[in-house]
Parts: sequence; structure tokens; C-alpha cells
Amino acid sequence: MSENQHSEGEMSGAASGTDVYEDKFVPYINKWGRRTNLLAVLLSLGPAVALLTVFDILPPSQAIVGAFVSVALTFGWAWFIEPLSYYPVLGIPGTYMAFMSGNISNLRLPCAAAAQEASDVETGTPQASIISTVAIAASIFVNTLVLGFGAVALVSAFQALPELWRNALESYLVPAVFGAIFAQFGRDYPKVAGIGFAIALVMTLLLELGYLAFLPSYPLYAVIVVSVFGTTLIARWMWQHGMISPPDEENE
Amino acid sequence: MIGYELVPLPAYLDIANSRWLWLSTLPVVLAVLLQATLFLRRAWNDGKEMGLSEQKLKTGFKTGVISAIGPSIAVLAGMLALIATVGGPVAWMRLTVIGSVAFELPAAELGVSQFGYSLGDEGITETAYATAVWAMTLGGTGWLLVSAFGTRHMETVRTKISNGNEKLLPIVSAAAMLGAFAYFLTGEATAGTPETGSIAVGGLTMLGLLHLADSRDIQWLKEWALGTAMLVGLVAGVAIQVTVGSWW
Repeated sequence: MSENQHSEGEMSGAASGTDVYEDKFVPYINKWGRRTNLLAVLLSLGPAVALLTVFDILPPSQAIVGAFVSVALTFGWAWFIEPLSYYPVLGIPGTYMAFMSGNISNLRLPCAAAAQEASDVETGTPQASIISTVAIAASIFVNTLVLGFGAVALVSAFQALPELWRNALESYLVPAVFGAIFAQFGRDYPKVAGIGFAIALVMTLLLELGYLAFLPSYPLYAVIVVSVFGTTLIARWMWQHGMISPPDEENE
Repeated sequence: MIGYELVPLPAYLDIANSRWLWLSTLPVVLAVLLQATLFLRRAWNDGKEMGLSEQKLKTGFKTGVISAIGPSIAVLAGMLALIATVGGPVAWMRLTVIGSVAFELPAAELGVSQFGYSLGDEGITETAYATAVWAMTLGGTGWLLVSAFGTRHMETVRTKISNGNEKLLPIVSAAAMLGAFAYFLTGEATAGTPETGSIAVGGLTMLGLLHLADSRDIQWLKEWALGTAMLVGLVAGVAIQVTVGSWW
């Protein structure tokens, strides 16, 4: 604990940005990230415990096990693939925060990406990681407030909206966000964007047409694994052969 | 796509919306806010020491706030489905901590299905509801445990992928993002023509706004680009839905 705390003054002059990041910031984040995330595991049992203690409701254990196994079969792949896939953009602090606070693809990633763009830092650098941390923290405050307010008060107002707009908000905001973020990253690497889209489209069509049925459980994981790692490996190959270069002037 | 009907409220929802359940969700939400506060303070101080200007940090914070408003409202729309099925407190907690509508709704469904119910059915018992809560809770811990124990090792995996080549890192990062979002995109695009229109218009609006922001050097435009692109994409989706409908 103490080795992180009394170093404030003594290294300020000499330390380069990367040293501060590696030697002070990252150890602190790893220590407190692990603690707070494990704390959340315990505290997330709150409603289940309240149902048990206050209302005396406890499902039979085979129902809990059955439900858990079903969830694990459907989403177990995502427990590992998602942190690994999003880590490059979220960084170390962002990974702790985003997987604790959820809504990653539609909220945390867009906020982190938009902040990196607005603050003009390069993705993958320590500076970008700091900006992501700040932006994701900001997004957590905002979304806790908005959702809390919404859950208590806005529900009735929203229900009064015409059916068309209620459906519209549910259906079309998310694809618009996905399109915008894809465009933002694709701007720097249009060729990689095209290849990634082609791979994902083929995989999604294979999935929907049932050609991936030979894989165990619902093979959505195959689509995301092939899309993410396929695009990454092809981009790497293209870079090695001088076909793409980091952000400069290469707009469509 | 999440379709749901508003049906008369089943009896278990009295418990699900009770004061006790609201109270039981507070500790974990406070833990999330605590982590965000700790990390923010540390990032701000260390960021300055790393040579990031106060102005860049403020821009990052401001962009985070602005960019979160639109998606949070979008989450709110999806949250209604959860409110109608598992009650306000659990819906709020699950979407503030760990989850997304795309995980929580299927998890709740898998919970009540242990008793042969489907979400929205009349006569869902309190026990079936409790099973849904357990399914969401235990299912959500997977991400928490992997991030708690795995985050410090991910750099190793990432370095292996890029073979330690520094210049390659930004390309690998961007390619991984493009691959992930391409997968989200195609998932939405196969849902229908209006969704596809929202993607295309949202993307093109973003390209246009970022181009304008760069060529005219307008910083604030970048902060509002995502929110604007999202709203324009939403309107485009609605326009397609009411005019030509969906072709697939």
C-alpha cells in the first residue's frame, strides 16, 4: 500500500509519462480495481438476499443451478472473449470499470472512443488510457443518474409516448450508434473496415442460415471470435506488407 | 430486437417494486460509484504528472458526460422491458452494474423458464421471479471475476498478438474494434431495412461531422458528433419504417 502513496513528490520531475503510468497509476488501479470488482460480486447478491431474508423466497437449488448453467452456456464465452476483445480500447482501468458497470458496447466504448477523439490522444497509448478512465467515470455518473431517475419517474412519461416513437427509441438508436462508432474507427483504416465488415457479414449470414450449427451451443461466439481476431490478423498482415499505416491521410 | 407487450401487473411485482428491494440495490450501485470516483481522482492526478493538460482532461470528462446522455436514454428505453418484468429496483441495478439489456433480459427469461414460464406471462410465481434474479446475479459475476483476476494479464496476451511491435499496436487495437463493431453492425443490419438505414445514416453523419470538425478545426463538434449522428440515424430509421417498411 505505502509504496504507491509516498511517491507523489519525489519523482515528479524525473519521471516520464510512461513511468508514472506504469509505476504508479497501473499498480493502484490493479489493486483497487480487483478489490472493488470483488466487492461488487458480493454486493450484487443484495436483491437475492433481500428476497430470501425479508420475503422468505428461495428457489429450489436445482432451479438456480439449472438457470445458471443455461446462462453460462449462452453467455459463458462472452465472460472471456469480451474483456479480451475490448481491452485494447478500454485499457486496464477501463476494463475494471466497464465490466463492473456494464453496457459496454453501447455506452462505455462510445464514450471512451469519443473522448479519445476529442482530446486528441492516440488509441493504445498511456495518455489514451487516462482519458478513457476519465470519460468512463463521467459516463458512470451520468448513466447512474439518468437510469435512477428514469426507473423511478420517467417510466410513465415514456409509456405515454406514441407507440411509433417508443419502438423507434428501442430499435434504431443502437444501430445508429454502432454505425457512427464504426465510421469513426473506419475513417483511419477504411481498408480494414471493409475487410472487417465483410468477415462479420459472412459469419453472421452463416449463423442465421444455420451453417454453424455443427458447433456446440448457440454459436454466436464463433461470429465474434472470427470477426475480431480475423480482422486483427489480416490488419497485421496488411501492415507487415505495407498496405496500411497508422492515422495520417487516408480518407475514403 | 426486443419485443414486449404491456400486460396487467402480476402479483410478484409488488415485491419486486417494494422499498426493501430498492434498499437492497443501493450498496452495489454505491460500490460502482466508489470505484469510478477512486479511478477518476487517480487518473486526473497521474494524468497531469504524465503531461496531459488540464484542458485535455476536462475535454475527456465533458465528452464522457455528453456522450453518455444519449446512450443512457437509449438504455432507458430498453430498460422498460426489464421494469415490466423484474421491477424497477432490479432493472436499475442490473443496468447500472455489470449488465446490459441484451444480457439481463435473456438471463431473466432463462430464470423463469426453469418453471415453464416466459417473461410477460401471467401468473409468474414469486419463486420463478426469484430464480430470474439469481440467474441475472450469478450470470453477471462471470464478467466481474474475469475482469477482477484477468485484467492484469491481458497485456501479455495483447503483446503476443502484436509480437511486441510498438507501431503495430494502434493498428491492432483499431482492427479489433472494427472487427467487434462490424459484428454488432451485421447483427443489427440483418434485423431489417430500417435498422440498416440507421446504421448507414448514423455512420455517414459521423463521417461528415468529423470531417467538418477536422477541416474547420471545430473542437466542440467532435463532442456532439456521436449524439447528433445517433439522433439523425434514429430519425432515418423511423422514416424508413413508416415509408417503405422492412424488406427482410
